[in-house]
Amino acid sequence: MSRIRLAKSGGLLALLLGVSVTLDADTFKDGVQPILESNCLPCHDQSTRSSGFSVENAESVLAGGARHGPAVRAGDPAASALIEVLRGELEPQMPFGKPALAEADLAAIESWIRELAPRTTSAAEKTHWAFVQPRREEPSAVTNGHWPRNGIDNFILSKLEENGLTPAEEATRETLIRRLYFDLIGLPPPWEEVQAFAAATSPDAYEGLVDRLLADPRYGERWARHWLDLARYADTSGYEGDPENYHTWRYRDYVVDAFNNDKPYDQFVKEQIAGDEFVRSMSAEPLPAPEPEHVVALTFLRLAPFTEPRGERSRHELLTEMTSTVSSVFLGLTAGCAQCHDHKYDPIPTRDFYRLKAFFATVYVAPARSGDIFQIGGPQPAAFYRPGEKKWADKTRAKYEKELRETEAAFKEFLGPLLDRLKAAKKENPEDEAEKGDGKKKELTAGDLEKAIKKPDESGVGKPPLFSAEEKNQHAQFRRRFRVLKDQILRIEPSAMSLRTMDPPPYGPSVPTTYVLNRGRWDQPTEAVEPGFLSAVAGHSQPAELIQVDRYQRHPGHGRRMTLANWIASPENPLTARVMMNRLWQYRFGRGIVETSSDFGKNGALPSHPELLDWLAIRFVDEKWSVKAMQRLMVTSSAYRQASRRNDDQAEKADPENRLLWRIPRQRLEGEVIRDSVLAVSGRLNPARGGPPISPPLPSGLENELDSQYKNNFWETSQGEEARKRSLYVFQRRSLALPMLQTFDAPVLDASCDRRRTSITPLQALSLYDGDFVNEEARQFADRVRAQGGGRVDSQIRHAFQLALSRGPSDDESEQVRGFFASAESEEEALVGLCRVLLNSNEFVYVN
Amino acid sequence: MSLKRLPGGFRQPPSRRDFLCRSWNGIGGLALSGLLGDELRAGPDSINPLAPREQHLPRKAKHCIFLFMAGGASHIDTFDYKPALEKYAGKRLPRPEGLSGEVATALAAPHTAMPTLWDFKQYGESGRWVSALFPNLARYVDELAFVYGIRLDNNNHGPATLHMNTGSQFPGSPSVGSWIGYGLGSPNQNLPGYVVIQDPRGGPVNGSAVWGNGYLPASYQGVRFRSSGPPILDLERPESLSRERQRREFDLLKWLNTKHGGQQPDASELEARINAYELAFRMQIAAPEVVDLARESESTKKMYGLNDPNTAGFGRQCLLARRLVEQGVRYTLLIHGERIASSSWDDHSDTKGRMPQHAAEVDKPVSALLTDLKSRGLLEETLVVWASEMGRTPYIQQGNKPDPKPGRDHNQNALVMWMAGGDVRAGATVGATDEFGIGGIDPIPLHDVHATILNLLGLDDKRLTYLHQGRYRKLTDIGGHVLSEIIA
Repeated sequence: MSRIRLAKSGGLLALLLGVSVTLDADTFKDGVQPILESNCLPCHDQSTRSSGFSVENAESVLAGGARHGPAVRAGDPAASALIEVLRGELEPQMPFGKPALAEADLAAIESWIRELAPRTTSAAEKTHWAFVQPRREEPSAVTNGHWPRNGIDNFILSKLEENGLTPAEEATRETLIRRLYFDLIGLPPPWEEVQAFAAATSPDAYEGLVDRLLADPRYGERWARHWLDLARYADTSGYEGDPENYHTWRYRDYVVDAFNNDKPYDQFVKEQIAGDEFVRSMSAEPLPAPEPEHVVALTFLRLAPFTEPRGERSRHELLTEMTSTVSSVFLGLTAGCAQCHDHKYDPIPTRDFYRLKAFFATVYVAPARSGDIFQIGGPQPAAFYRPGEKKWADKTRAKYEKELRETEAAFKEFLGPLLDRLKAAKKENPEDEAEKGDGKKKELTAGDLEKAIKKPDESGVGKPPLFSAEEKNQHAQFRRRFRVLKDQILRIEPSAMSLRTMDPPPYGPSVPTTYVLNRGRWDQPTEAVEPGFLSAVAGHSQPAELIQVDRYQRHPGHGRRMTLANWIASPENPLTARVMMNRLWQYRFGRGIVETSSDFGKNGALPSHPELLDWLAIRFVDEKWSVKAMQRLMVTSSAYRQASRRNDDQAEKADPENRLLWRIPRQRLEGEVIRDSVLAVSGRLNPARGGPPISPPLPSGLENELDSQYKNNFWETSQGEEARKRSLYVFQRRSLALPMLQTFDAPVLDASCDRRRTSITPLQALSLYDGDFVNEEARQFADRVRAQGGGRVDSQIRHAFQLALSRGPSDDESEQVRGFFASAESEEEALVGLCRVLLNSNEFVYVN
Repeated sequence: MSLKRLPGGFRQPPSRRDFLCRSWNGIGGLALSGLLGDELRAGPDSINPLAPREQHLPRKAKHCIFLFMAGGASHIDTFDYKPALEKYAGKRLPRPEGLSGEVATALAAPHTAMPTLWDFKQYGESGRWVSALFPNLARYVDELAFVYGIRLDNNNHGPATLHMNTGSQFPGSPSVGSWIGYGLGSPNQNLPGYVVIQDPRGGPVNGSAVWGNGYLPASYQGVRFRSSGPPILDLERPESLSRERQRREFDLLKWLNTKHGGQQPDASELEARINAYELAFRMQIAAPEVVDLARESESTKKMYGLNDPNTAGFGRQCLLARRLVEQGVRYTLLIHGERIASSSWDDHSDTKGRMPQHAAEVDKPVSALLTDLKSRGLLEETLVVWASEMGRTPYIQQGNKPDPKPGRDHNQNALVMWMAGGDVRAGATVGATDEFGIGGIDPIPLHDVHATILNLLGLDDKRLTYLHQGRYRKLTDIGGHVLSEIIA
């Protein structure tokens, strides 16, 4: 790394290297410090710190004291507490009990404050690039003027040239279409598309392809997966019993829509943090119900694992998680570190964490629904709003309810003779009855029968069991069917796994006070705090001005989260746009401009191309937060179109990690994309979108073990093509990941995941080679090849390569494979073998 | 690679040198140079993540067998003798100072103390007290070091089980075995480095989160060995595919991959993936072999209690653990008890009836494991840990009406654990609970126990870090204090 120059100008270099000596500090030292030292020091040095204020150094002056908060408002001397106390505008006037400072001294301090950059409140912040507004900076000139297609390329090329490097050649059409397909829709391109694109002569064939893919609804499915990683999405709660959250899938579909409809990112942020607070009421009428879509969006906040609510403790844990996740996902800051102590690396004091947490204080952890001790408050009503969704839900519900009725009738019929048998047995054996205690004869009920059937057989008694094994099995099947049907009906209730908020008085408590907690302990509150933004970013630690949603103040606190959301989703926030652009870049180019994409703090990585990141962030806001516009910009750049195969010793030596992007990095597909691609190649991918989660078959009877393990949670294996929908729709059970996906680093999402790992293990080989799924699809793939490729071995081989790898085999490959065919017992088996091999090949799971 | 035959038909795992030179075509060498630093960073995931690595400190133990008693085993009825309770039998206990949480709340309300229901005796030269529930294990107390009065972060199964197994009560952190795999790698690449064998009756609370890799790469996840059939999922070839045929296919795959790799810059991860297929090919032989008990003598099987339905389940788990250790598996997690079922140690009711059953299921197998490891010279290099996720209350579980068969509630403040093997100071103890077993006197945070386990395996918990979302994460979070009292 040391050999390449990342920063262009000296000043920026100083920032990047964390050099803290700045002009402002010098001014302070020479002009201000002597004045303060001679007048204030006895009471305000580092050890005395009267009112918590010290004039020891610039940083401590900026930080201010306990009485008036930050002493300095950068750029505005009149509004600075320091000047106000020195001029006697704030009591008590300083220096305490002494004459006021000379006007010349006051003027010197004022001039220092005036010179401070408006956003700068502390030296620590000043040195950290991410807390400073993005700068609109044009890239410096490049020598190779033909290469850049858009602004991105200028930034990339200028840095390459600065380091004496050149970009790679453009990748082949076959490579480009494959890359675009995987990046934008997460599937391999159909062979016909590859051929057409390779042969296209139109100058904007590439751009046309990009536009088609961005308009393809599968784009939303691909990008929703990235977002769901960040949102720690799962369909269950985790912990004991791992109960299902029946409606989280609606949030998943919401995210798909958001990407497909190119929902402006600022709106996307607001809906997920404060979807319920868009509604206002300016009359005495009650607040209108929030839009169903907004209720669904709010699911984001409560996707964390949770267990049996235990009062204030659970509420604290839930809110703490929300605060940390919102901070890391949207702001790229690990504020969660500050819950126990001041952040070690970033200027986030513990107090700031709890001020941030206070925005979420309206969240109500409702008592559990009866019979379900693991839930917090249950679902919220949210009508179906997506096109056709209500009709589909009504139809599906009617179907399930009909089946439920029929099953109930059949069950009754099944139980009839069994109950008779039980009655007869009891008549013969009245002493059993006497055991019950009350002596009186009671009519036997269905409940008694249930117990009798479930009772294990007493072996060795010598009499045949009352119910046969077959009957017991049938009984269990009925019970299971009931449970499954009820689950299915529950899943399509018009509800969302959203949040409840506190009712205002007189119906409920008002918003609870948020306290700073000693070492993060929920039962050790210290100072009470008001909602406020992170001071390092906002430049002050005043309470936030909260949005009032109704004139009559009947909904205190309603508007708190929107206040926070507005601050986050604002062009003025130096982090939000940068963080999102960096995420886009990462998924696209394999690595973020800031490599630690959820940590833009001091402990995070420095940006490899800071000016580019700023340029993208500003452009993003200019484009009205359109994600698609930015996607388009990135994938149409020359930088993106570079080849990944490039052997260049000089570049390898100068920049072995390819931080400067002298080629496109090769990328391992995610587990989900591998599964989807296998299905796409076998021709059996079910393109149906949305709806409740699917449960693909688990390997070798794992679902039977699950049945005994989670007695209330069946893995009701989806049948037929339902099981072959995209992996996005696979049931996300926190206590059991789909084994094949898991071996390929698909995480169990208990916490936000900003980047997938790409480990390599023999277990991947086992699941992708021996697993039922791949073997079934390999056979289907072979059938498809035979059907489309004709009867000749050569053409079959060629077509298998084309479908799996978007290219035909080379001569030596053909020869090798023909040899493989020759050694096989039958051509059919050889073809299946070839298909299996191709689906396992490195070229299949890595994209160039 | 030539495999040396050892007595008993086992193949000796290749030496590290063999492994580096042959197995990974030198990739492993790269891995080592990249990973031997004090801080094991995320690094490129491409290199062999399980290449064996040096210990931070010289310790004898190379393997760990972690015996997890799911449900919360009562300390009062097992190894933490509390005679003072006798005086209070049927009465209220004095309220201890400085305790908070559910147990403190319950003690403030009416409750009924219940002394242990079993006789305790002192055993061995160390004179440790052990209840009559563990007649076999009692003979081994001089080999064990006890830790009393361990405090957990949560009084409920889900979070407490995670706390014990991952160091955090919240899901998402790597399990102990994952950290150890990350720190030490694995000497035998033909088997997973981290094996989990759960109770044949069912799995624990939280399911696979108990052995998850959290934010570490998937290479470090625990691999569940199943109780019947092929031990690893998808280990068996499809029926239609003979091993010879599969070899041919793997050869074709290798040829294609090698050609593909030749055109690629920075091909180390591609090579690693080629190798993964060779490892999988060998694992198909090695894994069924390791679970095949046919070669074990009848006396060995009997010693582990395989002939008795009460002990057959855990006996098999323990015997497999020994076989895995012989094959170089780094970390074996054995779970006894199915989640919240009567087979778990969660005895809210009927302590008297249920505890003898749990104890009988493990007492003989665990003793056999210790004997067996010792006689084969493996106890020297194997750390054995016995744990549960919480202790239990010295008073009766309070319900709406009196329970004719009383049990005990959860107690996060008073867990007892023991360790044996490696550099464990045999016969030592650390920590203590108050005279009633309500909580620890100067309670031992679980992080200290985790730091000690790592230390006994030669890892320094403060150096075993992984950068994740802005922080160098550790198993012990902000760090634990090694319990040096129990280290020789």
